[in-house]
Amino acid sequence: MVVGLDLFFRVLIFPGLTFIGCLTMLCDWFERKIEARIQNRVGPKFTGPSGILQPLADFVKLLAKEDIVPVDTKQLIFNVAPVTAFTIILFAFCFLPIDGSTVIPGTSFQGDLIFVMALITVANFLLFLSGWASVNPYSMLGAARVLTQFLGYDLPLLFLALCPAFLTGSLSLTEIVAHQTIPFVVLIPWAFVLFIITMQAELEKDPFDVPHAESEIVAGYETEYSGRKLAFLKLARDTQIVFGAALVTVLFLGGSSGPVFFGANAVWGTLWFLLKLIVVIAISEYITCLFARLRIDQVVSTNWRWILPLSLLSLASTMALAFWVYPAVM
Amino acid sequence: MSSDQELIPMLQAKLGGSIIVQADKLGKISLHVEADAHLDVLRLMKAADEKTAVSAITSVDLGDKLGVLYHMRTSHGIITVKTELSKENAEIASITNILPGASFHEREVFDLLGVSFRGHPNLKRLVLPETWPEGVYPLRKDVNAASVQQVSPSEWSQTGNEEDGNLVKVVIGPQHPALLEPEKFTLKVEGETVCDVEPRIGYVHRGIEKAAEGRTYLQDVYLVERICGICNSCHAVCFCEAVEKILNLEVPPRAKYIRTILLELNRLHSHMLLLGHAGLEIGYETLFQYMWRDRETVMDLTEMLTGNRVIASAIAVGGVRRDIRESDVLTIKKSMVGLRAKMEFYKQLYHDDPTLKMRTQHVGTLSRKDALDLCVVGPVARGSDVDIDVRKDEPYEAYGEIPFKLVTYTSGDSWARLMVRLDEINESIGIIEYALDNLPVGAYRVRAPRIVPSGEAVNRVEAPRGELFYYVKSNGTAYPERVKVRTPTFANIPAFVKTAVGENVADVPANFVSLDPCFSCTDR
Repeated sequence: MVVGLDLFFRVLIFPGLTFIGCLTMLCDWFERKIEARIQNRVGPKFTGPSGILQPLADFVKLLAKEDIVPVDTKQLIFNVAPVTAFTIILFAFCFLPIDGSTVIPGTSFQGDLIFVMALITVANFLLFLSGWASVNPYSMLGAARVLTQFLGYDLPLLFLALCPAFLTGSLSLTEIVAHQTIPFVVLIPWAFVLFIITMQAELEKDPFDVPHAESEIVAGYETEYSGRKLAFLKLARDTQIVFGAALVTVLFLGGSSGPVFFGANAVWGTLWFLLKLIVVIAISEYITCLFARLRIDQVVSTNWRWILPLSLLSLASTMALAFWVYPAVM
Repeated sequence: MSSDQELIPMLQAKLGGSIIVQADKLGKISLHVEADAHLDVLRLMKAADEKTAVSAITSVDLGDKLGVLYHMRTSHGIITVKTELSKENAEIASITNILPGASFHEREVFDLLGVSFRGHPNLKRLVLPETWPEGVYPLRKDVNAASVQQVSPSEWSQTGNEEDGNLVKVVIGPQHPALLEPEKFTLKVEGETVCDVEPRIGYVHRGIEKAAEGRTYLQDVYLVERICGICNSCHAVCFCEAVEKILNLEVPPRAKYIRTILLELNRLHSHMLLLGHAGLEIGYETLFQYMWRDRETVMDLTEMLTGNRVIASAIAVGGVRRDIRESDVLTIKKSMVGLRAKMEFYKQLYHDDPTLKMRTQHVGTLSRKDALDLCVVGPVARGSDVDIDVRKDEPYEAYGEIPFKLVTYTSGDSWARLMVRLDEINESIGIIEYALDNLPVGAYRVRAPRIVPSGEAVNRVEAPRGELFYYVKSNGTAYPERVKVRTPTFANIPAFVKTAVGENVADVPANFVSLDPCFSCTDR
């Protein structure tokens, strides 16, 4: 157990708060840049080299803006939801082995996979609450859609997250990473594809971005937010996207372990992790650009007709693989 | 005009001497009838030709009387049914039970000229603001600025605020991301299903019809161009043609071809704008960005030909302002080849993309009967298998000499309306290529007198969004007596109101955008 300054460094600087904050900004910039290039645009350009500081500038700008709270809103929830959502996702990050171990070393436990999945659900529920507390027709519709969507997609997401767990025989994220001498994407590619699609729905990205379909319901649950609260709401969403990508990296791409080992794991492991993360984000952004937004009922029926049965099927096939094929091969 | 020549004797036989038939120099027919006798005429016309629809209702201040003119579109042309009312008791029977699509037209006349339509289901203010005083009608000649005293907000008629149980009101507009221009649509929603739509227009009403009366014909050409940025050449051509009809002025053939090319460039520009914008409305941003990139080609060509990217200001009474150079012809042809190849790609995309089809097929389905009843125009009508197109029905400019296909689709949903436009882009490219190959030589403009003899003219042009209608009445001076403009979107809004009811809220943008709404047009 590490104590003292070292622990503070890990929690506050690397791989804790500051690192995750910078990573979120970087990924946001990367996302915007890649989307722009796919759509034949330039994207962020002027703030910093190639516009890399644009997400930070946007965040700071929002912090400085006037913070308006409409009279009719449920004040407490309205005020607390954005920051709480951000905090919860940040907390969930603590259990991801970014540089080979969790943020506070030794806190990894059997079942932290389930714990982390529960935390995302809570964060999503807070987004719903933020819309519900706004008392605005657009926000209400947006909030109702968040709820409809995540009730549907939480279940398949959990089933698919259990696939790697079955292969390793452990519910600990750190152990799942440690077991991946061959990344699980090679062993169970079908689960990986489904997980990416489900993640897309969980993170409210096209073709599943119905909760904030701007042409229908303005900004959905974010409609009444402004200033600091909007800044944190947006940061929470961006962090959630990075978290989703990080989860994919950990579960299917072997986390921080790379094909070649050069030296200190803290340096090279993190680099491998980041590289994989960027690839996942690129895939997700590619899907976003390729499709039109589905309608809420189409989202729901896609889930119950296809994603849920398929995820159950892939769980079953992974179990079969883990019990009969995998031990025979290894 | 063959069938109209059969129609008139039939009407005279059935209605006896109560109608007086007049034909102007160019063969346009107008029927004079007593007030309320117009109902029988319209009923018989509708029975004789199912495509009979009301193009516009114009009211004109005739001094002590008000003229109410029903401009009826038939399969072959336009017939005007004229009635006169006294100013004090301006009341006439509504035609909404014959043609439900007349509802909007009647409301506008009620609002601006104070004609009360007996039996209208919802005779309420349409374009004037709530602060406008009762009993002041801006398009009457005797109105003066002093009588326009603003009503304080507390005295506004509080309509539409009644409680509706568990219906939630979702207001789209006047400011809303789905609308590019300010207009309000109040949706009453139960869950995610739309139960009722209440449109309210007039947020950017600029009184252009009134303004045109105070300007010369020369100035009016620039004024009407500014009704709509996208289809500006259509407005200018439509107005100039109407004035040319009164002047009895023949435009040189080269000018006709150049006008045709400009009109088709307008159509390309407008259709591509919409097809991209439709992508944005259904959350397909990549399509939007691609389509608007390729649309730049058309904008560049317009700039090359006229000196302006958007408002071309290239049309004048008597011809066009600029000739096409030999080098321009080659540039346009080259661009058209490139554009045609790109449109192939988009057509395939609209045909094959699963998410795009999921969002637009079986959305906002308008049956053929409803399309006829609601008097819709342009691609909206053609998407519901109603084969009307002014370019074919009553060819103007060079369209009579140029071969092209009239595109119709049968399914009547949003997807069909978008596909009509995609196919029309291909036809437009063909028209431009043909016009360039067969460009006549000679003058491109003739001099037109500034003073226009008294008379009146009705003119129609197929704008990108559908039939554009102009009525111009002159009184023998350099200033027009009355200019009436009926834009395509104005005629198409009832179709949205009809199809949106019973739909999912999420389908509203996809449905709405397929009309190609232009509120700048709607609020002249």
